[in-house]
Amino acid sequence: MIRAFALLPLLLSFGVCSATSWEYDAHGAERFKDLLQRIAIGDTVRISGIVQEGTITINRPVTIWGREGAVIDGGEKGEVLVVLADDVTIRGLTIRGTLVSNLEDYAGIKVKECYRTVIAGNFMDRCFFAIYLSGARDALVEHNRVIGDDSVDERMANGIHLWKCNNATIRHNLSERHRDGIYFEFVTDSRIHDNVSRNNLRYGLHFMFSHRDTYEDNLFLNNGAGVAVMYSKVIEMRRNKFLSNRGASSYGLLLKEINDGEITDNVFRDNTTGLMVDGCNRIHAQRNEFRYNGWALKLFANATACSFRSNSFLGNTFDVSTNGELMLNEMMGNYWDRYAGYDLDRDGFGDVPHRPLGFFTLLVERMPYAMVFSRSLFVSLLDRAERLIPSLSPEAMKDDRPLMRPPDPKDGTGRKDTVTMSNSAGSGSSFGSGSGISYCWSQRIRSKSWLTLEAHV
Amino acid sequence: MFKVFKYTLIDLARNRFVLGYALLMLLVAQGLFVVEGDPAKALISLVQVVLTLVPLITLVFTVVYLYDSLEFTQLLAVQPIGRRSILAGQLLALSSALLVAQAFGLGLPLLVHTPDLPALILSLSGSGLVLVFAALGALIALKQREKARGVGVALFIWFLFVLVYDALLMWLMFAFSDHPIEPLVVPLAGINPVDLARIMVMLQIDLAAMMGYSGAVYKNFFGSTIGMGVAGSILLLWILIPTMIAFRVFQRKDL
Repeated sequence: MIRAFALLPLLLSFGVCSATSWEYDAHGAERFKDLLQRIAIGDTVRISGIVQEGTITINRPVTIWGREGAVIDGGEKGEVLVVLADDVTIRGLTIRGTLVSNLEDYAGIKVKECYRTVIAGNFMDRCFFAIYLSGARDALVEHNRVIGDDSVDERMANGIHLWKCNNATIRHNLSERHRDGIYFEFVTDSRIHDNVSRNNLRYGLHFMFSHRDTYEDNLFLNNGAGVAVMYSKVIEMRRNKFLSNRGASSYGLLLKEINDGEITDNVFRDNTTGLMVDGCNRIHAQRNEFRYNGWALKLFANATACSFRSNSFLGNTFDVSTNGELMLNEMMGNYWDRYAGYDLDRDGFGDVPHRPLGFFTLLVERMPYAMVFSRSLFVSLLDRAERLIPSLSPEAMKDDRPLMRPPDPKDGTGRKDTVTMSNSAGSGSSFGSGSGISYCWSQRIRSKSWLTLEAHV
Repeated sequence: MFKVFKYTLIDLARNRFVLGYALLMLLVAQGLFVVEGDPAKALISLVQVVLTLVPLITLVFTVVYLYDSLEFTQLLAVQPIGRRSILAGQLLALSSALLVAQAFGLGLPLLVHTPDLPALILSLSGSGLVLVFAALGALIALKQREKARGVGVALFIWFLFVLVYDALLMWLMFAFSDHPIEPLVVPLAGINPVDLARIMVMLQIDLAAMMGYSGAVYKNFFGSTIGMGVAGSILLLWILIPTMIAFRVFQRKDL
């Protein structure tokens, strides 16, 4: 259905250009490679059957469209499809049979230095690298199913791999059983939304040196090491779900040396570490939900000017941990299920600050094997004492205005109430002022995008 | 033995304390589930309640009951019944009464609200604790002649297991933090039945954190069949050894 709609403008444009449409049947006498040399710029080729001709190079702007059951099998000779021209569209194909190599990055579809490539609705079947964009501009990768071969670790490479690209859109893809589900390096001004990346050996999403990118409504599930993003500036992550990333060095979201990030409306659930912030500047985390994680937030002392507002921490073993005395970040107006304070003036915020760092958190940070005392009565008593009279935790590690109720959209009361109340009371809180409408809107988008995601999976 | 068991059980059924215990547990468990809303969170709170309250109540009740039924025991002792059967019957009745009360007070809410593996492990370890502390309570009651002293010793033992042991262990950990003490911590903690029960439950509930650096070590050990077997055996030893000593004491005791 979606595919048909997406094709409509394409067909129309071809009609205007009076491009020719070719049918290619793999059972015929002619080789597909020869046909590609004959057709003109802007033509469309519809493939049926199984094409087995080794590496196929596309060096002119054409559209290749797979009919039902169309397969391009590289026969493990190297790359399968190599795109060297602008405006190439590859649609509806099953692609398999890349060569596995430790020296070359062979891919199912490799795009080299091209403009406006469209890769849509393909099934990448057990490729080494699956979709590999190198130096591509304005590329669109959507509705692909990228499934790797996880039988041997050494045979695994990245699912969707982008290198030095600009203005790419990666959406509605499913990437699983690869080394990294989605991998970016030097990719700028791109949008990554509504993708599912799961069961990958290493990272669900991995990017480095990729500035001004937006990640929205993606689902990262059960990846070996979760999601790691490093050395990037100005990133926005909204409404993503980071679920079930478990292991000693596994993170829902690992932020290392990220400057100016917005982390909004994400869900971190069942991870060993939900969100780790290491050496970051000006990360603003808002309205995220941390639930049932081992460590919800690991905020290292080398993070500066980060803020955490309106997040909810529910049922985590540890809410926050840190590794030093320094705390140059701000926590304000979050909901902590461990908060034991009171709200006498009924403005929705607790009257005494919450100190999320307990004695036990610090103890486990120093001696990880102390984990064996988790939830022992003695430890709970010490924990409570540390919260009342903090002597070990950094003075600034506190939330001065903890929410009394979680900003949970589902019951529709918690946050709405607190926002309106804080506004009407004129308590001068800088956060949440006039965000009521935008909040409702984001909720609507969230529910909608989840429908499509669910349908896609 | 069966007769003693039967009559002690009937007596216990009339005892308001057992009923009160069941109702208290039911109130606490149900209350936590209702107040917390989130069953997973309620379960976590419930773990601490169970691990603290169950040993305390079992110990104190066993001790007090055995003192209070001393006259009945004396009466039994003059009958042609072996002393072994008397104690066995009483102990069995006590344990089963408490277990039934706990099944009602704790098991029922768990079954209703979170019928899953962590809840099962919690109720199993709770039952294990009942058996362990009933045995210990019997031993205390037989060793001490005075009731007040007996209760005092019971409280001390409870304090030792629930609080002091962990404190000592933690002190040990700090004192020897320059040494490779890591492999010793788990076995030492595992010796204490309360800690053992807690670890077993925590491995289910704090699974995400337990998958971290050293938690994985515990997980690998206690999560395996061997680890489960070892944990079960330790609990069994904690039940058997005090019981056996109690029997020997009772055999020789001048009632």
